Amino acid sequence: MTVLEQVGRAAIVHVEDAGALTMQFWSVLRKLPRVLPMVGARRRWRSAVEQMLAIGASALPMSGAMSLCTGFILSLQSASELRRYGALEFVVDLVVIGFTRELGPLITALSVSGRSASAISAEIGTMVVTEEIDALRVMGLDPVEFTLAPKYLAALITLPCLTILSTLCGIFAGYLFLAFSMDMSLRIYLQAVAQAILLRDVAFMLVKSLVFATIIVHVGCLEGLRVRGGPEAVGHSTTAAVVKSTFLIILADLVATAVFYLMGWSSAG
Amino acid sequence: MTNSSTVKAGDAVISIRGVSMSYNGRRVLDRVDLDVCRGEILVLLGGSGSGKTTLLKHVLGLAKPEAGSITINGVDITCCSPSELGTVRRRIGVAFQAGALFNSLSIEDNVALPLRELTRLADTTIKLVVWMKLIAVGLSDAGSLYPPELSGGMRKRAAVARAMALDPEILILDEPSAGLDPIVSAGLDELILFLKRSFGVTILVVTHELESAFHIADRVAMLYQGRLIAVDKKEQFAGHAHPRIRQFLDRQPDAMPRVAAEEFIASYLRGVQR
Repeated sequence: MTVLEQVGRAAIVHVEDAGALTMQFWSVLRKLPRVLPMVGARRRWRSAVEQMLAIGASALPMSGAMSLCTGFILSLQSASELRRYGALEFVVDLVVIGFTRELGPLITALSVSGRSASAISAEIGTMVVTEEIDALRVMGLDPVEFTLAPKYLAALITLPCLTILSTLCGIFAGYLFLAFSMDMSLRIYLQAVAQAILLRDVAFMLVKSLVFATIIVHVGCLEGLRVRGGPEAVGHSTTAAVVKSTFLIILADLVATAVFYLMGWSSAG
Repeated sequence: MTNSSTVKAGDAVISIRGVSMSYNGRRVLDRVDLDVCRGEILVLLGGSGSGKTTLLKHVLGLAKPEAGSITINGVDITCCSPSELGTVRRRIGVAFQAGALFNSLSIEDNVALPLRELTRLADTTIKLVVWMKLIAVGLSDAGSLYPPELSGGMRKRAAVARAMALDPEILILDEPSAGLDPIVSAGLDELILFLKRSFGVTILVVTHELESAFHIADRVAMLYQGRLIAVDKKEQFAGHAHPRIRQFLDRQPDAMPRVAAEEFIASYLRGVQR
C-alpha cells in the first residue's frame, strides 16, 4: 500500500508538472501578439528587440564559429574515407545534407542553450527572489506578458535566422576544405551545393529550429520561475536549465529525425 | 484577540477575518483577524518566521488562504474574479522589502511604469507625475540613475515613489527600515508620516524595528507564531502585559532549554579534555 502510495504521489507530481508546463506554454502563446510591434501594447516590442539582440545577435559569433569548425571536421573526416573510393566530390553532399538536416539546427540550438537558457533562468530567478515578479502582479501587470512573452518571441524569431547563418557557415567550411585540398573553384562548389540542397530539408531544418527555440526558452523560463528561497537557488536553476534544455533538444532531435525517416521523406534526397 | 473597540466597522479599508494558512502541515497563519482603518498607519510587528510576510502575501492576493476572508474596499479578494482583484490592486501601492525595482529601467522609468501600462496619460503628463512623486520622496535629482547605482535608502525611497505612482488609497510597506542605518531609517519614517499627512493614504507597515514602529504607528499589531496576539493603540501597546510582547519589546532572548544547555556544555568539556 505504501509503495502504491509513493508511486501514485510521484505520478501526481509529475503529471502536475507536465500540466503546469503546458498551461504556461499556452498562456505565453496567447500573449505573444501583445509583444508584436503594430498590434501589441505600446513599448512592449522594444523589450522583444532587446531580447533578440541578447539571445540571437550576440550568439552569432559563437554558433558561427562552432559550425565552421564542425563543417571543417566533417569534411576532413569524411574526405579521408571517401578518397579511398575516389569519391571526394561527395564531401559536398555530405556536408550540405548533414548541415541542413542535422548539424545546423543542432549546433545552433546547443550553443544558444548554453548561453541563453542559463541567462533566461538566471534573470527570471533573480526577479522571483527580489520579488520583482510579485511586484508586477501587484501592479496589475501580467508577468507572462511582461517578461516571458518577449523572450519567447525573440527566441522564435532569432533561432531560425541563426540556424540559417550557421548552416551557411558549415557549408562554407566545406568549400574551404575542398578549395585547399583539391583546388575546387567556388563556382563548381556552389553548383554541387545547389544540386545537393533540398527545399524539403531546409523546411525541416527551420521547423526543427523552432522546436529547439521553444525548448530553450520554455525550460529557461520555467526553471527561473521555480526558484524558491535565496540567491543560491538561482545558481541551481541555471544549471538545471542548461542540462534540461540540452537533453530535451537532443531528445526532440531524435524524435524529429525518426519521424522524418519513418514518413519516408528522406528517400528522394 | 483584541480588536480595538474604537474602530467602527465601516471604517475598515482592509479587513482580515479568520485567515488560516499552513505549509507542509505547519501552521503559518492561525485564524488572524485584523482591520486596517481609513487614514491610519497600522504597524504589523513580529519576529522572523512569525508569518507577517505570509499575511502580507495574502493581503496582496498573491496567495489564497485555506480559510477566512480578506476584504479590501468591500471586495473579498479571496474569492473574487481576477478582474475584480485587478481593480482592487490598482488602489494599493506596495513597496517590497528589497525594493523590487526593475534593474533594466531607470528610476524615472520604474516610477513611470505603472502609469504607462495602466493609464492612458500623455507622455508629458506622465513625466510631470513622475517628477512630483520623486520630489515627494526626495529623489528629484536621481531620476536618471539605475537601481544598482542607488544606496539602500534611496532604493527604498524609489520603491515608495513607484508605489505612490497611481495615487493609491492604501500603501503597503514591507520592512521599510530593514538594513538601513538609523539616520536613513529615521528619514524614511518621516517620509511615511509625510505621505500620511499630505495624501491621507492608509498605510500598513510590516516591520520588526521597534523604534520606527512606535514612531510612525497609530496602532500596532503583533503576530507570534501565526497568531495575532495583540492589536492596540501604540500607547496601550507599549504597556501590554502579554509575555511574548514584553519579551519582544524588552528584547529578551528565548530561554535555551536547560537540559540541552547542560548537555552542550558537558559535551564541550569532554571535547576539551580529550
